[in-house]
Amino acid sequence: MAETTAVAKKESTFAFGKKERKLLTDPLNDNNPITVQVLGICSALAVTTLMNKALVMSIAVVFVLAFSNLITSLLRTQIPKQVRMIVQLVIIATLVTVVELVLKALDYQTYKDLSVFIGLIITNCIIMGRLEAFAMANSPWKSFLDGIGNGLGYGIILIIIATIREVFGKGTFFNYPLIGNNSDFLINLGSWYLPNNLMVLFPSAMFVIGVLIWIHRAWNKDLIDVS
Amino acid sequence: MTAIVAILLAFLYNGLKPIHDLNEANYNKRAILGAVAGQLSTPLGDMSDEQVSDVFTNNIKQKVVDLDGQMVDASAVEALGYKGGQAENIDMKKEKKKADADKVLPVFEFTSDDGKQFYIVQVRGNGLWDEIWGNIALEKDLNTIAGVSFDHQAETPGLGAEIKDNPAFQSQFIGKKLYDSNGDYKSVFVRKGGAKDPVHEVDGISGATITADGVTEMMDRGMKYYEKFFNSIKG
Amino acid sequence: MGELANIFIKSAFIENLALAYFLGMCSYLAVSKTVKTAFGLGLAVIFVLGITMPINWIINNVLLSETGIFGLDLTFLRLILFIAVIASMVQLVEMVVEKTSPALYNSLGIFLPLITVNCAILGGSLFMVSKEYNFSESIAFGLGGGFGWFLAIIAIAAIREKIQYSAVPPPLRGLGMAFILTGLMGMAFMSLMGIDPGAF
Repeated sequence: MAETTAVAKKESTFAFGKKERKLLTDPLNDNNPITVQVLGICSALAVTTLMNKALVMSIAVVFVLAFSNLITSLLRTQIPKQVRMIVQLVIIATLVTVVELVLKALDYQTYKDLSVFIGLIITNCIIMGRLEAFAMANSPWKSFLDGIGNGLGYGIILIIIATIREVFGKGTFFNYPLIGNNSDFLINLGSWYLPNNLMVLFPSAMFVIGVLIWIHRAWNKDLIDVS
Repeated sequence: MTAIVAILLAFLYNGLKPIHDLNEANYNKRAILGAVAGQLSTPLGDMSDEQVSDVFTNNIKQKVVDLDGQMVDASAVEALGYKGGQAENIDMKKEKKKADADKVLPVFEFTSDDGKQFYIVQVRGNGLWDEIWGNIALEKDLNTIAGVSFDHQAETPGLGAEIKDNPAFQSQFIGKKLYDSNGDYKSVFVRKGGAKDPVHEVDGISGATITADGVTEMMDRGMKYYEKFFNSIKG
Repeated sequence: MGELANIFIKSAFIENLALAYFLGMCSYLAVSKTVKTAFGLGLAVIFVLGITMPINWIINNVLLSETGIFGLDLTFLRLILFIAVIASMVQLVEMVVEKTSPALYNSLGIFLPLITVNCAILGGSLFMVSKEYNFSESIAFGLGGGFGWFLAIIAIAAIREKIQYSAVPPPLRGLGMAFILTGLMGMAFMSLMGIDPGAF
């Protein structure tokens, strides 16, 4: 994997070459946090019933991941090994609290919809995983890029799942009526169509991710589980 | 380090607290006005937060009553921990847990711009996952429902959450009556498979039987709490 | 007492943390390849949930709430304190178990550090706050939630052990299949939703 070869050497420039670009694009496909690394599943399932929830959640995770990576990387030489878990958790928890307070001020409805899942970003394993695997061993700038890359990789999957679930489950997209069985909807499919309620229930999130992994691996054969 | 973090967060929290409180208050006001949405001169969705506040101060008279239908004065309500003793600040979640004798209930007397009078009352019950609640507007006869707005903590989107999201479900309640022609209390039922009684029943939501039963139970119990208050006005 | 049993059953079966709220999925999927490891992790989750839930209840209601000993609304520190309690409790449990019962440590020990970032634990505490449980209810909720999670991971591990002998399409093997199986289990658990726990 690309990032394990990177060494923690002094870099004063904010270079944006091939290697840095790879930090951003790698998590979108070959090393996707959800479908390949299997991190951060809980929130991927719980918040993907509606597009605006998934979008707000993605933005929040990109923010928390990028900045916790940055801060951890800045502090990485000062953190004693024994207490690093606690220090990392405090950094993450602080950033998540900031997100929660700001969201409550900006968009109260979405804040209410997301309820405990904003707080659960703390235990989103993507964040801890990236801090341990990357930020503790890399320069701040690279860590920041890695955070954004992984956050986006997570966000893309979230948005794909939410699109499928909201459009087929409720017939709406960002709460805008899209396909349905009466004239309130943009595309009126008439009496033979009913929104599939199963799509908004929890099991369907599992099916959708399972099928996404299937498609992803059928297309990118390197990822097939040989065991 | 934790101390620095705590201080930073404290600043942020206190800086944003007025906005949080305002958001919360406006959210609540919009929900209450949602019950009389049809009577407002501007659609609720197009109103700014200031306009909502204005309607609230100009068109609404807030009262607090107990289960015997007696007025509870503001100082007594404030002593229960509700800011300003205002009906809009009453937390129905707390009231739901109290014994009947200790309950206080909010009443909002709404006068529309063309001079019609409505009473908005609040009910709270249990859905499938967590609590559900609603604001019920009654016409001047304190029998005919003029409108409702429901909300919920955690019902399933597309199923139970339709009590809030589906305007067609809520508009079914308009014109339904709490009392039958003999004056006996009947409440309004959510009937699975389609309403049979045009006066006291509405259609259920497919796939959301438990939430719908929750609405039935909440209406039946919640409106009964106000019975003595209604009688005191009807005389 | 009936109320507590009610909460236990509700949190174990109907509002199952793993299969209805999808909490703790990372370790649920990672450690469910064999029943033996799943059993160890499941036990550790019951243990930690049962301990952290009442402690976090005390923190939330005594330290942080406006009616608590400081008389200030300190809820913005909730997340930080909750996660700190969970992390330090896990560490403490690890040390105690290591000292007192080597046998238990051998079966539980390696899973304990995983539990800090298991969102079922933090999620449990946050649900306890949003549902406004009292002290004894929070213990029942913790134990019930832990038990439900334990059941779920044992069940998926047993199925995954069997399915190794089946002809699953290669791209779906392993992870993909685990997701679909969990979805099916979730559907099965949904049939428990209509049950009135008060009937027990």
